[in-house]
Amino acid sequence: MEQNPLKYKELAAKAVQDKQLHKALGKMRDKVGRNAVKLYKELPTGAGSREAAKEVRRKIVDNLDVVLETLIESIRARGGHVHLAETDADAVEYCLAVAKRFEVRRVVKGKSMLSEEIRLNDALEAAGIETVETDLGEYIVQLKGEAPSHIIAPAIHYTREQVGELFAEKLGVPYTSDPPTLTAMARKALREKMLTADMGISGGNTACAETGHVTIVSNEGNIRMTSTMPRVHIVLLGIEKVAATLEDHDILLRMLTRAAAGQKISTYVSYVGGPRLDAEPDGPEEFHLVLVDNGRSRILADPDFREVLHCVRCGGCLNVCPVYMSIGGHSYGSPYCGPIGAVFTPLTRGINTCHHLCQGETLCGACKEVCPVDNDLPRMLSLLRSKLADGDRRWNVKPHSRIEKLIFGAWSVVMSHRGLYDALTALARAGQRLLPRRNGWIRHLPGPLGGWTRGRDFPPLAAKSFAQRWARRSTARRGE
Amino acid sequence: MSQIIERVRQALGVQAGDGRARQVFAKSREFLECAVAQPSAQERAGWMESIRREALALKLHLHESPDLEACGEAVAALARARDPEWGTLKQIMRWSDPILDELGLEHRLAGDIAVRTVPMADSFSPSERQEFRREVIASYIGVTTADYLLADTASLALLGGPGRTRTVSLVPSIHIAVVPDSRIIASYRQLLSLLSARSLPSHMTVVTGPSKTADIEATLVHGAHGPREMHLFIVAS
Repeated sequence: MEQNPLKYKELAAKAVQDKQLHKALGKMRDKVGRNAVKLYKELPTGAGSREAAKEVRRKIVDNLDVVLETLIESIRARGGHVHLAETDADAVEYCLAVAKRFEVRRVVKGKSMLSEEIRLNDALEAAGIETVETDLGEYIVQLKGEAPSHIIAPAIHYTREQVGELFAEKLGVPYTSDPPTLTAMARKALREKMLTADMGISGGNTACAETGHVTIVSNEGNIRMTSTMPRVHIVLLGIEKVAATLEDHDILLRMLTRAAAGQKISTYVSYVGGPRLDAEPDGPEEFHLVLVDNGRSRILADPDFREVLHCVRCGGCLNVCPVYMSIGGHSYGSPYCGPIGAVFTPLTRGINTCHHLCQGETLCGACKEVCPVDNDLPRMLSLLRSKLADGDRRWNVKPHSRIEKLIFGAWSVVMSHRGLYDALTALARAGQRLLPRRNGWIRHLPGPLGGWTRGRDFPPLAAKSFAQRWARRSTARRGE
Repeated sequence: MSQIIERVRQALGVQAGDGRARQVFAKSREFLECAVAQPSAQERAGWMESIRREALALKLHLHESPDLEACGEAVAALARARDPEWGTLKQIMRWSDPILDELGLEHRLAGDIAVRTVPMADSFSPSERQEFRREVIASYIGVTTADYLLADTASLALLGGPGRTRTVSLVPSIHIAVVPDSRIIASYRQLLSLLSARSLPSHMTVVTGPSKTADIEATLVHGAHGPREMHLFIVAS
């Protein structure tokens, strides 16, 4: 699936007109987004739960080297293989090599945004391996030939009728718009795939370094199938998504499921610790953990952005974001959409390339308030914008617009010189008479300012400024 | 491999072996002590209340049995009343566990429904594994016990081990768990604390109700890819 963050404006312009999309996303907002904060408070840590979870994530990320080394050692002690992949290509190559060794013909996948990030499906298909997404939402978007539009609810942009039509077309089943019937159809179609695949690939929600387990939550049970039935199981995990101890898991998983799905706990919390043992008649013969860097260590090195690595990928910030609610996930042109994507994607794919993402958010702060680890996304969005405005050597950012920089430079000179300011406003007041009006408002501003009035009118400058009126009033009073 | 760890160290501006490990893996005293917390009779009563409440919301069918004899009879009746989802064969696969032995399902269902037990051996040949796989897939009911039952979420902790395979609670359409009430603990936190004090097996799953999804219009549907029906029998000790 080719995704392009430079198409943001074009896609967003289309999506803001899409009433169906807004209805679908509104359900996520009402059912999950608005409940999350209330659910956090039920925990023993009460109102301080987000801060408590943040502290745990901070401890882990600030000591990532120690946690990773221990995890690698523990997984190997359990007979699992660990590969540290520097880039997306490296991770893909490793998965393909394992697939080749097992002569894999069919892969079943559990939901993994990281696999979207490294574009694994395309590579597997190109190698002639049938690749089947098994999460219901992922399955729907895969049948449709699309990318997921939400971090945890990939097909949330579809109505039940659209899913019904899709299944009728692709699975040759009678049309229905009944979600339980549609789910049963997918259950049947995918069971066959899951029981016959040679290889399972899934993401992970976290890992436990001290015990040597990858921790995966799911409600559908597809990830348990993926990790249990095929001969080999590969887990893809970002290097930052690990945890040190079982105690860390307590607050992290409780916050994750509340934020992601409004649940106290998911149906399944699986601790996967390597391949089957000799005395076990089931389970995979081999277990591989692929820890992917792909730009994360670069973020880690910048104290201003390190915080974004605390993210647990719950998708909670999407469900409350007014921008995401209007433009949907596809507009972001990246696997990670919404506020978290607007920070993470520019940092990994280039701030200039992804400038629309951080410029498109409103900085309203809703994402920070709902974040289970209290990630200050608005702060980082502002920082990205300032790098775009001024340029930045560390992140290789070119000033986004020299003209804009020039205009704001001039503006700052004007604003700090009274005489100049007064002279220019007088000039503007005289000039605005030439501009077209509607109900007393200016309909079009000239030149580059025209963009502002494309969708709204602009209030004209008053005949006299506040300073002028104030000065006159005080003179009049003194005269009394 | 170590290059990436080295890059992480550089990014963090830290040295290897500078003694941070102790602090990173330290556990709070409160956490460690909750493993051995002794509940009062009142707390225990509250646990049952909580399990009943949670089970209802989860569509987890809860049965309270006075003893294993009654439980065995109830499980057998349930097996008779249900039809297979795939195919027509009525077969049950169960964990190899002394508690499940005592249910006497084999003789209760003799002649009607085949009851198979997870084989126990030091190792399994590929053909034995294939055979077991076929039998699990052919079963419409999987019966397990649980190592712990978590009161605050009505969750079962299933720890792997000989005779306690991953697939029995996953592949059959109906999952039945039989748990003595002495195995009820307070919470997920207490579970993690208990597990910190022992060595964890190669896999563990915490199961909370039947499988479900909300991927179509955020509408909750029970019965996704895991069991579509789940029964929890709590047996009085």
